[in-house]
Amino acid sequence: MSKRKVGAAHMPVGECITQVQEILRQRFCRQRVPDRPGGVEAQHKHLLGLLKRTAVHGESNSVLIVGPRGAGKTMLLKCVLRDLMEEKEVQKNLLQVHLNGLLQTDDRIALKEITRQLSLENVVGDKVFGSFSENLVFLLEALKKGDRSSSRPVLFVLDEFDLFAHHKNQTLLYNLFDVSQSAQTPIAVVGLTCRLDVLELLEKRVKSRFSHRQIHLLSSLTFPQYLERVQTQLSLPDDFPDENFAQNWNSSIKAVCEDKSVRDVLQRHFNSSKDHRTMNMLLMLCLSRVSVSKPTIKPADVLEASRMCFSDAKANMLHGLSILELCLIIAMKHLNDIYEGEPFNLQMVHNEFKKFLHRKSSSMYNFEQPVIMKAFEHLQQLELIRPVDGSSAKTQREYQLMRLMLDHSQIMEALQKYPQCPTDVKQWAMSAFG
Amino acid sequence: MSTSSVSKGCFVFKPSAKKKKTPSLKDYFIHGCEGAEDSETRFQLCQNLWDKIKADTEALQDELNRKILDSLLDFTRKCSTTRQHSDWAAQMRASEIPTAALVLGVNVPDHDMTFQSLSDLLQQSVSPHVASVQAKECGALKHLMKRVLERLMDTEVTLDDEEEEVTEQTSTQLHNSVHCSLETLCDWYIAKTKKSFSGTPGKKRSSPGRDDPQQPPVVIIFKDLEAFNPRVLQDFILICSRYIQRLPLMFIFGIATSPSTIQHMLPHSVSSLLCIELFQSLSCTQHLATVIDKLILTPDFPFKLSDKVMQVLISIFLYHDFSVRNFIKGIQLALVEHFHSQPLSVLCCKKKEALLNVMQLSHTDLERIRQLPSFKRYVEKQELQEQTNLTTDDTHLKEVCRKLIKDLHKYHKNYYPILRCLHTMTSALPRYPLGKQIRELHLICLEKTVWENEDYQSAMKLLKMLAKDELITLLQRCAEILQPVKSKKMKKARVHLEELLAKFRQLDTVAAETQSCVEDSLISPVKNLGKKTDLFQLQKTLLEMNETRRSKKLNPFELLRNEVVEFIDSLVKSHLSPPETQTLNEVCYYSSSTAVRRHLNATPRTSIQAALSSPYYYLQNNSLKSEEGSVSNAAPDICIAYKLHLECGRLINLYDWLEAYATVVSAAEGNHPDSDNFGKVDEVKHARFIRAVSELEFLGFIKSTKKKTDHVARLTWGGC
Amino acid sequence: MVVVVLGAPGTILRSVMRSKMTALLQQPGYEEERLQRVAEKLPCRDVQAGLLLSLMGQPQQYSFPSIFIYGHRASGKSHVLQVLLKELELPHATVSCVECVSVVLLFEQVLLSFFGCDAASLLPRSPSLSDFVRVYRQQCSQSPAKQTRYIVMEKAELLRDTDANLLPALLRLQELVEDNVTVILLSEIVWDKFRPNTGCFEPLLLHFPDYSKGELQQILSQDRHPSYSAEFYSSYINILLGVFYSVCRDLRELRHLAALNFSKFCEPLAEGKVKDTDTHKLWRNIEPHLKKAMQTVYLREVSSLQWEQMQQMEEKETGTVRGLSAHTHVELPYYSKFLLIAAYLASYNPARTDKRFFVKHHGKIKKTNFLKKNEKTSNHLLGPKPFPLDRLLAIFYSVVDSRVAPTASIFSQISSLVTLQLLTKVSQGDLLDAPKFKCAVSLDFICAISRTVNFEILKYLYDFL
Repeated sequence: MSKRKVGAAHMPVGECITQVQEILRQRFCRQRVPDRPGGVEAQHKHLLGLLKRTAVHGESNSVLIVGPRGAGKTMLLKCVLRDLMEEKEVQKNLLQVHLNGLLQTDDRIALKEITRQLSLENVVGDKVFGSFSENLVFLLEALKKGDRSSSRPVLFVLDEFDLFAHHKNQTLLYNLFDVSQSAQTPIAVVGLTCRLDVLELLEKRVKSRFSHRQIHLLSSLTFPQYLERVQTQLSLPDDFPDENFAQNWNSSIKAVCEDKSVRDVLQRHFNSSKDHRTMNMLLMLCLSRVSVSKPTIKPADVLEASRMCFSDAKANMLHGLSILELCLIIAMKHLNDIYEGEPFNLQMVHNEFKKFLHRKSSSMYNFEQPVIMKAFEHLQQLELIRPVDGSSAKTQREYQLMRLMLDHSQIMEALQKYPQCPTDVKQWAMSAFG
Repeated sequence: MSTSSVSKGCFVFKPSAKKKKTPSLKDYFIHGCEGAEDSETRFQLCQNLWDKIKADTEALQDELNRKILDSLLDFTRKCSTTRQHSDWAAQMRASEIPTAALVLGVNVPDHDMTFQSLSDLLQQSVSPHVASVQAKECGALKHLMKRVLERLMDTEVTLDDEEEEVTEQTSTQLHNSVHCSLETLCDWYIAKTKKSFSGTPGKKRSSPGRDDPQQPPVVIIFKDLEAFNPRVLQDFILICSRYIQRLPLMFIFGIATSPSTIQHMLPHSVSSLLCIELFQSLSCTQHLATVIDKLILTPDFPFKLSDKVMQVLISIFLYHDFSVRNFIKGIQLALVEHFHSQPLSVLCCKKKEALLNVMQLSHTDLERIRQLPSFKRYVEKQELQEQTNLTTDDTHLKEVCRKLIKDLHKYHKNYYPILRCLHTMTSALPRYPLGKQIRELHLICLEKTVWENEDYQSAMKLLKMLAKDELITLLQRCAEILQPVKSKKMKKARVHLEELLAKFRQLDTVAAETQSCVEDSLISPVKNLGKKTDLFQLQKTLLEMNETRRSKKLNPFELLRNEVVEFIDSLVKSHLSPPETQTLNEVCYYSSSTAVRRHLNATPRTSIQAALSSPYYYLQNNSLKSEEGSVSNAAPDICIAYKLHLECGRLINLYDWLEAYATVVSAAEGNHPDSDNFGKVDEVKHARFIRAVSELEFLGFIKSTKKKTDHVARLTWGGC
Repeated sequence: MVVVVLGAPGTILRSVMRSKMTALLQQPGYEEERLQRVAEKLPCRDVQAGLLLSLMGQPQQYSFPSIFIYGHRASGKSHVLQVLLKELELPHATVSCVECVSVVLLFEQVLLSFFGCDAASLLPRSPSLSDFVRVYRQQCSQSPAKQTRYIVMEKAELLRDTDANLLPALLRLQELVEDNVTVILLSEIVWDKFRPNTGCFEPLLLHFPDYSKGELQQILSQDRHPSYSAEFYSSYINILLGVFYSVCRDLRELRHLAALNFSKFCEPLAEGKVKDTDTHKLWRNIEPHLKKAMQTVYLREVSSLQWEQMQQMEEKETGTVRGLSAHTHVELPYYSKFLLIAAYLASYNPARTDKRFFVKHHGKIKKTNFLKKNEKTSNHLLGPKPFPLDRLLAIFYSVVDSRVAPTASIFSQISSLVTLQLLTKVSQGDLLDAPKFKCAVSLDFICAISRTVNFEILKYLYDFL
């Protein structure tokens, strides 16, 4: 089903829903670049100018885009590039090289990748280069040969810039910055990173060659803006085939955003994090609840979605434990209380558990050591408890020192929610000292 | 130090073992052995004997392993069949990997043979796909994978993250070499089964091929489970369980200690993927018993061990290693030593050859015979004329020797059957006065005349109290033992036994009623004797029984029983005399236990300490003679240093040590105690001292420590 | 939600479920009857399935780049996914991270199942992530995704052990390869334990709650024995859960147990003692049996095969369930036994008490003389302490009755005990370098050993004074 059905004034609901899903999903999965950069116009302008200078006037540049995860670094860059590419001579002139710290894990790989993206494999053939820089220079030279008059400008985009700083004596960075300093070939180096201290990672010789240009994306978003962004993210574009559906949709969205409970929820999200991604996740969840039978987003959906986002994973896992395992955890909790969080081993836990059993002579819980051991193992497998030292093979299992990875409140909360938790166990958990 | 098992001693005799393998070593044997003239023949004899022993033991091994191996084979077959037919219960078990936990005991060196024969049998009868892995060759999961795949598919498998220098071969490489994942193994298996059984309908591997009858299981043997890294094992099992539907895998765990190790190594999530069956191999003590029975307690082998040597070998087995293999090696050592050192061992062979060899004996050999203590004793018994003949006339001596050799063989021929008889009679008795195992009885007999031993007396007393039915069964068993033996004496003995048995039968027919009353009065004490535990009690009861016996007159049964006991006693007295009493026993009996002990149970530490504390013992240099404890200052530097370090505490101050050393040495150089340069430390002394110290460190007496500057830590205690 | 019907008897629950399913598993772009089939195949997981489905959206639509599903073992994580992806015939690659001894296997499997084997062969030897992405991109430029492609990673927790970049890269694979691909991670461990320290693309978290007792009842009742009525079987399941539910909620395990013990349960029926409605009698019959099963089958001490054989023979000699741990007895050479005993004493007694135990005429020293203030807890609670070799030997020589020469084989026995895991070597380095050991056997074990050499060890143990 293609969505290029412009003009069809009215469409069946199913069709519309499909369209909505289509459009919004693309948005949330950051596949489509927004038409205008929300809230970061200044940076956009700055970067655009910078790159244009490289692309048009062939002046080398290097810049870092710094901002927390999901602050929209990549989005910004994409916008800029799109706008940049609208100009003719840039389009035919500028070459792009996209590197990612996650993928190009060392400079050899990075260089291969560069060669490939500049489509110079055949030129390089099987030459052997003395040094890295030679190789890089050769590549750029090759580009120059591409057309006599002036060498074409190259744009290097280094995503996860900080990872490149970990490469062996930062050869790649050094050379790139070096080239950008010397006027041999016009290149622009754009680094994206989430580490504010990234400059500390750079060696002196590298740092000195870097033009200390940094674009910071520290979103100074206010809650109203946040709300507004939510709304824009959810609302349909004007070119949506079925106008009145679009209008209904948008108005409903508006209504949702004004709803009191929704505002509270969003406030919470806003307080925890204001970046795009978490927001997208939330909205994605809302969207996923939209279906033909329920063609709009209701406040309830938002609440449900946020509940899912905020659910405490560990508590969830605790619910799945068997009574026995729960008892062990309680015993550990008591041990932690008694010995101020000293590490413990299975023997101690079992001992503690036995004490409990003695007090209430209920025989339903007394299992043999092996059974308990299995339960203990399971807890370890779930990483609810973790061995203190790595030498697991060295000591017997029952004597291996462990730490509890849960805190008091989590356990208690879990106990409250626990399906059919026996009262005596509850009381034991409540009781001050084992 | 890396060791494989409890049974790892230091095999000093390994080279001598090799001797048998390479014929070139023959002259190596001949060279420098006593009485070189007939050494070839001795070498031949030795060789033949060893070959025979070797063959027999191996046969024995297989015999012993057969039972457990068979049960294992059944298990594998059963698994591969249950895999195919699918009833409601089997459905539920479909996801489990059948696993045999094979408990073999701690004598790891003996295991290899077992596993070898096991995998052979499996390959013959159950499935061609058998791979066995050892812990030390798979430290990480991928290595384990690699090994398994290689051994199953016998192609070379590439671990992909291993960089290879040769780059241009990658293109070809990728085709013939395979990735190490079970996926590939699966494909290989499917292909294999399809190829071999063209009858089966062509299956995609997505559809599990478990329903067609001929699907041989893929068996993986983990030789030493304990040594494996648990993590690796767990992951491997997890992976395998994902393929169990397509690939009929099964495991065999070789366990040295106890099956509970499985529980210790595998968490529940993993062990729940296995369907473990337990197999217990027979204990090595039983194994030893059978070996001794077949190898030692038989007249077939002319070569014998004296009580001391026997004692050493057995104690090594019981105290140090449970390894039967090493026990046999010990016998081998004794064998070689005997033939090497004892010139008269030419006579240690089958009767016929021996008689021939006697005629070949040279004058020197005969002289040697005359020197033999046992022979001397023999001579003394003869009257003068004979004595002179024996000492002077070689031909006459040869004649006598022939006779003596014959006697020796007869002696052996009779010894063992009677030994067994005695054992059968006594081993049933309460508190085993003559030992439970026959080897113990054998040792007693070898040691000294058994009938002078008070245990023997008490045993005889107890025999005199046996109830009739017990006695009869025992006698019957004795008769069976004597059955196959063909020597006049034994035949006679058997006949006599039969007669006695017959008499017993008559008794029943004659006086049943008297019998009964007598019996219960008699059985009861013996019965409750069985419960008695301390020796004192036992003797007391014995005494009072004698009282009772004296008091009342003997009934026919008792008379007969006494007769039987007398008879047994007489047999023992006539046949179980210790070998020392036999003339020419030195020919067959190897008796130097010290040599064996020195080789098999070496004490390197004590010998080093001996060397260091009394160098004279090794160097035999008179200047080194010194009274006990002290070391003459002329001794080698290291000895002096050692001696001095013995007086120090845990930490040794190097400088003080050096000073003390210097004084001692300069005293040795004989310069006067109050001359000014006495005890001066010059470069030479210093250098010598340093060398001595480093030698000590190398020998592991001291080591450098960070606890205190200029100090070394002492590692040994006492033992001066 | 499921919570509403907690503990409700199976029948009602089932009806509720049916209505729910048809309601929940509606998603445009998929054929109705396929969805129906999925619904049938996923009892008690329809909520999760529905949620997942709605997240996945229509086949051609984009889905969230990475989804992280966590839940206990056998809570149907991979099952649900497999059913969905298989039934709806979506392009997907399923990888179990246990198997990926090297990342190559992962890459290959993905490429193989998306683009066929020739794509996989394009990878160079020992490929890097970048190679993988490169190949992937050029492949999907040739055949762009018409439907969302899914990569399912089972046991994702193991990804943390591979190289650090792999996990973050996978999480944002959609963006890296610019293809409509979604990575789904399955794990038993919560996401918080995954997050790398510099952060990464946050996946969408999805929790699969474990089955409630009622649900277990319902599911287990489904695979009933053909020759018995459903009610009968479900009553059996009810009893089974009554015994095991407090220890184990693992569906797989319970299913196994149910299968094994059913025959026993039916026995009185076969003998005609009880008729199948009389649940109480049946319960009284099976209950002790199940209790026994808890220590044997549940611990897998005996294989299911052996268990069944036992049940046949049990009538003859009762209660002879010899599990693996029943055979703890180990035959050891005489001196090895004493070495082990010495090691045990050395690792469970404080060194300063050796004098009191092993010096012949130590006079009367009370335990209180050693008792330090901080020693409230016994050493058997804290576990074995490491001890140096010479202490071991000293104790050995004093406990072993006869005089023993320090032969090579004594020392080799020590190191052999190490390889048999009866001792563990704490410090590395060779025997010269004053090594430290620990004794790794349990009290019962050592007691059994010392009984064979009649040495009352308890008299020599500080904890038992």
